[in-house]
Amino acid sequence: MIKVLNALIAVLGGVAGAIVVYYLLNKLAELLPGRWEDRIKPYLYLLPALAAIGLYLIYPTIQTFVYSFANAQGTAFVGFSNFTDLLASKNFQNTLFNTLLWILVAPAGTIVIGLLIATLADRLRPGGEKLAKTLIFLPLAIGAVSAGAVWKFVYATNPPTQNQIGLLNGIWTGLGGDPVNWLQISTFRLNSFMLMVILLWIQAGFAMVLLSAAIKGVPTETLEAARLDGAGEGAIFFRIVIPQIRTTLITVFITVLIGVLKTFDIVYVMTNGNFNTNIIAVDFFNQLFTNNNFGYAAAIVVMLLIVMIPVLVFQVRQFRAEEAAR
Amino acid sequence: MRIRSTLTASATLGAVAVLTAGCLSDGGGGGGGNDNTSTTIEVMYAFAGGQEAGFKDEVNAWAKDNDIKIDFVQTGNFNQLINTRVQGNDAPDVALFPQPGIMKDLASRDLLADLSGVVDQGDLDKMVQGVLETGQVEGTQYAVPMSINVKSIVFYPKAAAEAAGLTQPPQTLDELMALTDKIAATGTTPWCFGIESEAATGWPATDWVENLMVSNYGADVYNQWVNHDIPFNDPRVLDVLNQIDQLLLADGRTNGGRQSIASNNFNTAANPMFDPTPGCYMYRQGNFVAQEGGFPEEVRANLDETVGVFPMPGKTAEEKPVLGGGDLAGIFSKNNKSAQKLVQFLASADFGAQSYGATGNWISPRTDFDVSLYPNQTEASIAKIAYESTAFVFDGSDQMPGEVGSGSFWRDMTAWISGQEDAKTALDNIESSWPS
Repeated sequence: MIKVLNALIAVLGGVAGAIVVYYLLNKLAELLPGRWEDRIKPYLYLLPALAAIGLYLIYPTIQTFVYSFANAQGTAFVGFSNFTDLLASKNFQNTLFNTLLWILVAPAGTIVIGLLIATLADRLRPGGEKLAKTLIFLPLAIGAVSAGAVWKFVYATNPPTQNQIGLLNGIWTGLGGDPVNWLQISTFRLNSFMLMVILLWIQAGFAMVLLSAAIKGVPTETLEAARLDGAGEGAIFFRIVIPQIRTTLITVFITVLIGVLKTFDIVYVMTNGNFNTNIIAVDFFNQLFTNNNFGYAAAIVVMLLIVMIPVLVFQVRQFRAEEAAR
Repeated sequence: MRIRSTLTASATLGAVAVLTAGCLSDGGGGGGGNDNTSTTIEVMYAFAGGQEAGFKDEVNAWAKDNDIKIDFVQTGNFNQLINTRVQGNDAPDVALFPQPGIMKDLASRDLLADLSGVVDQGDLDKMVQGVLETGQVEGTQYAVPMSINVKSIVFYPKAAAEAAGLTQPPQTLDELMALTDKIAATGTTPWCFGIESEAATGWPATDWVENLMVSNYGADVYNQWVNHDIPFNDPRVLDVLNQIDQLLLADGRTNGGRQSIASNNFNTAANPMFDPTPGCYMYRQGNFVAQEGGFPEEVRANLDETVGVFPMPGKTAEEKPVLGGGDLAGIFSKNNKSAQKLVQFLASADFGAQSYGATGNWISPRTDFDVSLYPNQTEASIAKIAYESTAFVFDGSDQMPGEVGSGSFWRDMTAWISGQEDAKTALDNIESSWPS
């Protein structure tokens, strides 16, 4: 009860506080002579938002840069040694390689699966389409940690003398095989791919919804024109549909890509980076919270930021181009 | 316009960078003790669940008789929180440290009360010696043990293991090896072993390494190794890993084989012991595995009839080293009479006699504690293993720096056991991760 009351007070107080702040800013602007009032007012209105962004976004980012050149405790500068140490370590190289695999495979995989489902579901009767889409969309509503918990039961392994509670091992031993420790097979990074499957399972629904809407938005005249010209289904799909949903494809790709770069929970829950499945976000977490090494943790974030910037720039450009085309 | 806004932006960024650059932290010094002298005192600790409930009952009953009011503060993240609170001049009156490292650090910064005048030193001789010593800094007692856990225990399914040849607990490491061979020859794997523990996967393996370190080389070498006076990858440690290889990892030694160890949860790894045809006969683990969440409920209901225990043997029959841990009580509010009284109580033989001992969630660090107060024979035997030990060493990974103790040591042992690294590489990796 008290918590509800607190929440209410917080919401009301927050709104009232914001009103008071803007009212005062307005009054302040009105004190200015004539034309200056109109010139300054927009900036005064922007001020709280800019201050918040500065305090919560820009300041920490710059601090992170600063700390990436400092030692583990953040007490003295050590130059580039955090970066050189990390890049020279075999473990971190493996971590980077795994992250690269995730970047290459997961977003593309999500697009392919999402597109496949969207296209196939489009051919179903309305009832079937709804059901199929709902089922595939469902995992998106589950958090990544819960998804990990679900998939633990898929990959679970017990010693051969015990019953297999894992789905995959249930099938495998049912077919006469010996139980396999799926998540420990790092040959060809099989375990990393098995973790990526979880991300695909979560994200396919998201890709499907957006792509399905885009496919439905493709004008039927273009499809009919193609059919009249004698194009096969494959040609129609790749040469008529795909070019017309290109912008949606890119949006989905970039969203999933950014999601992949930030992926932490799945790997943390399933393996915590053991068995050669470590990725950059998990490594960052462990450097910061297990090793208390602020320097390494900050350096990892800076590297992640550097990788992300081109993606973000591309996305912003793409967005601008879209806006301009309208 | 474009150029100007870019210029402004970079100028702003530059200005912020200049303002914040050099803003490094000052290294976490400072902070202070606590000058509370009232009869309301705050006690902070890390244990939870049944252990916490039993502790509260016992202490509350005592506090009522002594007109003291106690605020209980439980935290899973003890080490970080205590540091933050000390830095903020907001230390609790009494802290029950789960690991000695941070306690020693605070004591050497003169933040903890010297307990020499608070508790009767002569009376402390009754404590398990190794644990008592972990509460000392340069010979001065800054914290006293108030609970212990014992990790050098081998559990076995009584009836089945006796039938398989475990009639006499092994007295030496050689006998343990012989027993392992003997059981393995019957075609059943002798050992249960599992090191999976969610994000903490690997720690049960570190306990094995630590246990065999102290069994083979004694407490002195063990402590040198834990304190990094000898390198982590000392040849003796490699010998221990090879010993583990023979005992547990070789074909036919562990239920499920080497590959299943890293995916087998430590709490349930022993369950095949209790199958009609046991999958394994021995499980070395801490006393907590016999509590809720560990052995299956029907086993715990008949603990004494079903489960037998023997201590991990030493090199010779005379040596009985034990690996374990415990909580150590220290005082921040140096002049608080109530806090002193509480710590006197926690260190006394009376503590736990009322109700805590009977809960089965707590073992007294005092060798003169009446073992008949424990709820079952198994726990009494476990306590006796600690009380009769010739050396009691504190869990090493808990004392090592976080990078090692809960980082590389866990991780590289997992990699070694699951076959991703050989023993030597694993040890070399851990050594190189030790912070300079």
